[in-house]
Amino acid sequence: MTAPKDKMAGVQYARLALLPDGFRDTLAPAAEHEASVVRALVDVFQTYGYARVSPPLVEYEDSLIAGPGAAKTKAMFRLMDPDTQRVMAIRTDMTVQASRLAATRLADAPRPLRLAYAGSCLRVKGSQIRPARQFFQAGFELIGSTSLEAEVEALVLAVESLHAVGINELTVDLTLAPIIGVLAEQFKLEGDARDAAVGALDAKDIGALDLFDGAVRETFAGLISAAGTAAHALPRLEALSLKGHAGKLTARLARLVDAIQTRLPDVGITVDPCETHGFEYKTGIGFALFSRSARGELGRGGRYLVSAPDGSTEEAVGFSVYLDVLMAALPAPAQTDLVYVPYEAGHAAAAKLRSEGWRAIQGLTEEADPLKEARRLGCTHVLAGDKVVSV
Amino acid sequence: MAAPEKLVLALPKGRILDEVMPLVRAAGIEPEAAFDDPKSRQLEFATNVPGLSIIRVRAFDAATFVAFGAAHMGVVGNDVLTEFNYADLYSPLDLKIGHCRLSLAMPVEEADDDPRAHSHIRVATKYPNLTRAYFAGLGVQAECIKLNGAMELAPSLGLSKRIVDLVSTGGTLKANGLKEVSVIADVSSRLVVNRPAFKTRPAALSHWIERFREAVGGAAA
Repeated sequence: MTAPKDKMAGVQYARLALLPDGFRDTLAPAAEHEASVVRALVDVFQTYGYARVSPPLVEYEDSLIAGPGAAKTKAMFRLMDPDTQRVMAIRTDMTVQASRLAATRLADAPRPLRLAYAGSCLRVKGSQIRPARQFFQAGFELIGSTSLEAEVEALVLAVESLHAVGINELTVDLTLAPIIGVLAEQFKLEGDARDAAVGALDAKDIGALDLFDGAVRETFAGLISAAGTAAHALPRLEALSLKGHAGKLTARLARLVDAIQTRLPDVGITVDPCETHGFEYKTGIGFALFSRSARGELGRGGRYLVSAPDGSTEEAVGFSVYLDVLMAALPAPAQTDLVYVPYEAGHAAAAKLRSEGWRAIQGLTEEADPLKEARRLGCTHVLAGDKVVSV
Repeated sequence: MAAPEKLVLALPKGRILDEVMPLVRAAGIEPEAAFDDPKSRQLEFATNVPGLSIIRVRAFDAATFVAFGAAHMGVVGNDVLTEFNYADLYSPLDLKIGHCRLSLAMPVEEADDDPRAHSHIRVATKYPNLTRAYFAGLGVQAECIKLNGAMELAPSLGLSKRIVDLVSTGGTLKANGLKEVSVIADVSSRLVVNRPAFKTRPAALSHWIERFREAVGGAAA
């Protein structure tokens, strides 16, 4: 490490080194660790037959705010295409891009369509809890199936991919984001009354429901107090005996809980019927994954609609993780072995070690003390004679 | 059996603490003796419940500790909750203590005017986000000057025309030649829990929410 020596050098140093808020350099070994975690996640997605796609970083604004993108319009950086004079936007979520592919280029591909992706996204502002403005997203989308098995597959695959990178003690939280809107319609709540109900449910504030009466109050209060473990929530939701679409949603939720308990017996299940934060574009059951080893939510997904150019829609389920959150939950990687091969040992010696799976640094000049040089370069081993010796 | 996983309860210092402690005790939590010793410099206190500790921090900081998951539960006024609007905070329970209101105030001698007539107004407050949102709702752009106390001085010294602050009796306003013009929010203290903690440890957190719910019910009866 060389520290800036005087004040002028300090100013110059800051000019080169300071990054804007929410952006960071990732150095070794963290950069390699992140890349290998992404690789491991996508590998698991591919074992289930999800085909990797790689859409561009920038699109015309119109295509990025279509369908599920509508909830993210305020988060996107925009720039003008000097050529066409049209506004372009930098992606802030790859789900939107996967749905665009499904609705356009892959419209005639057989359904259900399975797509996987991984790439960097940008947003104009981080949150206080998650300040990153550039982050890596990895995920998959299962498009064109209305079956409950689609949600089950998405959850099983999400859990399996997180296990594969070393996250354990997982909990899945199931949400029913559309239910508030459905009930507001059933109770014919409009304008301010609707806003007040949504606000109270968002904040889980039973007190704020006092301005409603009878069935409205009871149903909404019931939804709020249902939040908790599946064993706590399901009987309470059932007791509300919701009608119409709301009833169908809760019945589907109960069947999904059954299926997960069978397929993923080690995963805890909680239910939060009135959670809407970040689930705005979900049209059915949404889910978020938590782990005791992580401070925040690891990833989320759920059912939504892909909108086609002709105005029709298609059912889809997806899941994605953000690497900034995931990496914070993983222990630091073990140090990788690195061999120092003295210049005089020759290229063939280094090549042989590499072919055996070692990472080998070849000295570029002759050094009096190869052991000392190996230590200086941060190597774990040195080639002495024909033996690899630990430093 | 393994030792129970650590659980941290964040309590606000000052006025609210005296009101909240009877509820904490009624919920079955008894902090160690140093908690009530004014000379103690300790910040984290053990309790009679194994694994549960209490931290005593500023009211605004209690929300921050819980939002980041450094504390798992806390007591926070809904003024602070709306000001920060943390997505990772649940407030499942109104503790029905610490009642006051967040109000807009102006000098007594000034004539009342319709705030909507301004395009811009300068306000001194501890709650810039709430204040900006309140005035934005009236179509007025509020320039907020963030102060951490003694807001009441701002109008008389020409720092701002209006202030937004907590009011309980109105005594401080009156003593400084100010009058309350409108109530922006009614405030009371809430039990808050960290969202990820509530998802990964639902049994432990629900247990304490229920104990506090009973304590609030008992206090009301």
